[in-house]
Amino acid sequence: MNLLQYVPGDSFLHKLNPVTKLFAAFLYGVACIVTQSVWVEIVLIMLMLAISTLAGLQKRALHLAKNLFILGLFMFVLQLLFVRTGEPLLVYNNFCFFTTGGLSSALLLSFRIIGTMLPLMLLFAITQMNDLCSALVKCLHVPYKYAFIVTTAFRFVPLFTTEFHDIEDAQKARGVEYDTKNFFKKMSLIAPLFVPLLISSLKKVDSGAVSAELRGFHLRTVKSGYKEYPFGLQDGICAVCILCLIAGAAVL
Amino acid sequence: MISFEDFSFCYMGSEEKALSNLSLQIEKGEFVGIIGNSGAGKSTFTYALSGIVPHHFQGDFYGMVKVNGLDTVNVAPEKLAEFVGEVFQDIDSQMVASVVEDEILFGLENFGFSKEEIKKRLEQSLEMLGISDLRYRQISSLSGGQKQKVAIASILALEPEIIVLDEPTGELDPESTVMIFEILKRLNKEFGKTVIIVEQKIMMLCEYAERLLVLEQGKLVYDGKSKDIVEHVELFEELGINVPRVVKLGLRLKEEGLYQGKIPTNVKEAEEMLKEVLAC
Repeated sequence: MNLLQYVPGDSFLHKLNPVTKLFAAFLYGVACIVTQSVWVEIVLIMLMLAISTLAGLQKRALHLAKNLFILGLFMFVLQLLFVRTGEPLLVYNNFCFFTTGGLSSALLLSFRIIGTMLPLMLLFAITQMNDLCSALVKCLHVPYKYAFIVTTAFRFVPLFTTEFHDIEDAQKARGVEYDTKNFFKKMSLIAPLFVPLLISSLKKVDSGAVSAELRGFHLRTVKSGYKEYPFGLQDGICAVCILCLIAGAAVL
Repeated sequence: MISFEDFSFCYMGSEEKALSNLSLQIEKGEFVGIIGNSGAGKSTFTYALSGIVPHHFQGDFYGMVKVNGLDTVNVAPEKLAEFVGEVFQDIDSQMVASVVEDEILFGLENFGFSKEEIKKRLEQSLEMLGISDLRYRQISSLSGGQKQKVAIASILALEPEIIVLDEPTGELDPESTVMIFEILKRLNKEFGKTVIIVEQKIMMLCEYAERLLVLEQGKLVYDGKSKDIVEHVELFEELGINVPRVVKLGLRLKEEGLYQGKIPTNVKEAEEMLKEVLAC
């Protein structure tokens, strides 16, 4: 599953203005950061999963949550072992493995990672990058050049992945054993692939730039966009909800 | 309309010239086919037309290339893009959007057409290429042939005076190839567009292009009517370019004394020839 790919749909989330979606995702993350309660973090994650389910994105949301959980688990272990505040919780032979402060800090941080990243990742499932780019240019007057760079960067991620797999397959066909279980051996086999990948990627980027230039890229102005991105009632409701959420998260 | 005056180009870092001492004129409304082996300089020829050479690919530029009276060295490619539309050989890398509709809108929006005009051109180009059903599809989910049609539609939507296509039918099935050539023919005949197409399918060039240019190792070795290919069969075979089978058939029948008329260069003419031969 490509975690950055747009999922077409007709839900209330899809219908929001792309700028609203971007800020709502960002502010949802802020709400997860300002809260100091593990329980609020859990509620925020559950709420995001519920919203995603209502928008028909439950599969993507759960998949994302699962991936972020692994990252969260890694941070949990690090925090647990390195934060030494509070009372000792596990002591063996006079060596304190972790403390109460370490445990609460580890729980908070790992849930915070999931809570902040989940809405941002889900943003890509409900927003076409081109729409986001055009809306930022139209509504916020962001220079088109910068908006285009960002959308192009995201568009190239799956292209590079495909390119990488193509190179890998070509090497496999020549007998290179990428399916080895030895991690270090696998890495040493993969490392030389980065050079051809980099070269072909740069070529693709270069051709894309020429193509854009030949289709009047430099002639574009703020007024150029064909599609309009008006703010509607649902955007206002979304803004109010998200502000209430931040206030609630800060108080609790 | 287009003139190459003793034009040569050598890419930076390369020792050999990609094109050398090229002099020719292409008038408005011509349908020109370009053929040649790999490395013959066909793509460089198209790059010179759109100003990519020397503005993007740097190197030693000799002579002069003029498009619509403008010296391509002194004019930025985006200015030339107002009347030259080019479809590249590598389809994937020329896509700038994720969705078919956005890909076609990109150029239309940049050139600042009115919303009504954009809507009209967008729908027309999709319909022309028979890809209206792909309008909201992700480009990454399309087949090679479908992508090729999208790339052509995005250029045709801009309605440039000069349409340059570098092997536009490479990934297309025979039916779609004929469709693309029919569209180009219509644009050429009805709207007076100048069409310059690099293509390896010589049969298609003989049928649709009025003029044929053959490049070999950076040099122009043939510049004439595509119908006159019959008189230069030896030259083409020497260059490793297969002449259409209908031409070979006509020549063979003539050799055997079974046919005395005009040698066919397309299927329709071949049909007439065979009818004549079989009637005898």
